Amino acid sequence: MTATLRIRLPTAPPAPEVAAPSFVVGGPLAGLRVGLRHEGSWRSWMLITAVWQQLLEADAATPVMLQTGERVGAEGEATRRAVDQWVGRIDCGVSGLGTCGSCTSWSVADAVSVEDGGKPAVVAVTAEFETHARNMAAYLGHGDLKVLVLPYPLEARPEEELRAIAVEFYPRFLDLIGARR
Amino acid sequence: MTARLTGRLTAEVLEVPDDPTALYELSLEGGWGDGVPVLPPTDDRVEALLAATPLDPSVVIGVLPPRNGVATVELAAINAALAGCVPEAFPLVVAAIEAMVVPEFNAFALTTTTSSVFPMLIVNGPGRDELQIDYRAGCLGGAAGRGSMTVGRAVSLCLRNIGGQRAGDTSRTVFGQPARFGLCFGEWEERSPWPSLAQRRGFDPGADVVTVHGGKGTFPMADVNIDDAGELVRMLAKCIAFPLNNWYLEPTGESGQLVLAINPMWAERFGRRFPEIESLQLHLFDHAWQPIELWPEANREILRSKGRVDPDGKVRLVSRPDQLVPVVCGGLGSLHAVALTSFCESEMQSVAVQRPPAAIGP
Repeated sequence: MTATLRIRLPTAPPAPEVAAPSFVVGGPLAGLRVGLRHEGSWRSWMLITAVWQQLLEADAATPVMLQTGERVGAEGEATRRAVDQWVGRIDCGVSGLGTCGSCTSWSVADAVSVEDGGKPAVVAVTAEFETHARNMAAYLGHGDLKVLVLPYPLEARPEEELRAIAVEFYPRFLDLIGARR
Repeated sequence: MTARLTGRLTAEVLEVPDDPTALYELSLEGGWGDGVPVLPPTDDRVEALLAATPLDPSVVIGVLPPRNGVATVELAAINAALAGCVPEAFPLVVAAIEAMVVPEFNAFALTTTTSSVFPMLIVNGPGRDELQIDYRAGCLGGAAGRGSMTVGRAVSLCLRNIGGQRAGDTSRTVFGQPARFGLCFGEWEERSPWPSLAQRRGFDPGADVVTVHGGKGTFPMADVNIDDAGELVRMLAKCIAFPLNNWYLEPTGESGQLVLAINPMWAERFGRRFPEIESLQLHLFDHAWQPIELWPEANREILRSKGRVDPDGKVRLVSRPDQLVPVVCGGLGSLHAVALTSFCESEMQSVAVQRPPAAIGP
C-alpha cells in the first residue's frame, strides 16, 4: 500500500461573479452628451475618437472628451476626480483603449464608473484583449459590461486605414450603447 | 519540527502520495505549482509557520488581484510551506502581502499588464543574516540564500494561487521575467554610507522591514574607466533614462520609483562625493533626461502633448529626485550597478515585519 500525506490546498476560490445592472440609451442619439475617453497614449485610438467626435457632432450629439492621467499617487487622485466629473457631464460614453494589460484594466474600470453612475458605457478594446477586458469587467462586478472589439493590432496602421476603421465601427458603438441615429 | 495540531485550519485537504515526484506532478496538474518542485504543505508544517506570526490564521491580510482572492494568514502559510519557507521567515511573506495590497501599489494593474513587471522584495533590518536574505555577491540571483529564495517564491505563489495571477491568462505579460519566480534581496546596510532604505522610509534601524517595488527587470550597467564619482553617477543617470523607458509612455513622470542597486565599492566612492543621499538622488535626477530630438516625430508630438518636454528641450525621466532610489548591495567586485526599472504606475510600499512577542529577543 502506498503511503499518503494530507496536505492543504493553496488556492483561494475567486470572488463570486456578480453582474451589476447594465444600461442602454434606448432612444435617439441627437441631443446626447457622449463621453469619449482616452489615455493620451494610443495614437490609433486618439485618431478614432477624433473621427467619432466629428461623427457625433454631425449626428447632433455633443462629444465630451476626457484624457486620463496617472492612476496612483496625487496624480491618480486627480485622475479619479476628472473621471467622476466627466461621468457627471455625460449621458453615455466609451472608454478606451484596451490594447495592453493595464490600459485594458483602466479602460474597463472607467467604463464601470460610468455604468455605476447609471449611464450606459462601452469599453473599446482590441481583439487580443477582449477576454482580458471581459474578465476584468466580471471581477469588477460588471460581467455584462458592453465591449466594442476593434481589430488587432491598431498601432502602426496608416492613418487612412484607421479613419476607415473609425467609420466602420461607429455604428457598432451606437448599437452597443443603444442610441439611434 | 512538530507543531501542535489545533484543528484550526480550514483550507481544503488533499490526500496525496507520500512521494516527492508525485507531489510535484500533482502541483503541475493542479495548476498551483510554479514549475519547480514544491514541499508538501502538511498541517504540521503550516502550523509551524503560523506559530511564527502573531496573527490568527483567519485574519485577512488583503484581497489579491486579479481574481480578488482573499489572502488569509492560513492561505499565505500554506503557500509559504509549499515554497519551503522556514517559520522565522514567514512574517516577511505576510509583510510583503500587506505591502502589495496597499492601493497605491496598484497590484491590479501590475498583475494584469503586458509589462514584465513583478513585485520585487527588498529586506532591511537585523534579521537578514539569520533568515539568509542575500545582500552580498549574487544577491539578485544565484546566491541561493534560503530566505531570499523561499520568501520571494512564497509571495509569487500567493499571487498565483490566491490572486489567480497566471501569465497568458489573467496576466497579459508579454515576456514575464525571472523575478516572477520570486525576487527577494537585502540591503547591505553595513556597507552603505547612507541611512538604509527602511530608515529613509521612516522605520527604526532595529526593525525588520519589507519593501515591495514594482520592478520591470534587472538592467545592468558597468564601467571601469570613470574615476570621478560625479561623472560616474551622471553616466548611470543617462543609462537609466534610456529612451524606451516605460516612464516616457506615462502621462507624467510623477508616479513610481526606480531602484538603483549600487555595489559597496561604488557606494563608498559615491558617499565621499555625496555624503547625503538626497544629493546623490539630485545628481541622478539632474542628468536623467534625454533631448527631445532623440525621438521620432510621432513620439515628440505625444511627449509634447503630455507636457513632458522642458522649455530647454529636455525630457526628464521622472518628476522628482526621490523617485530614484539607491540601494547598496552586491559583491565587492565593483564594476557593476543594476537598475530595477520601474512599472511607473506603482508606488513602492514598505511594511514592518510583525513577530509574536515570544519571538522577539531581549
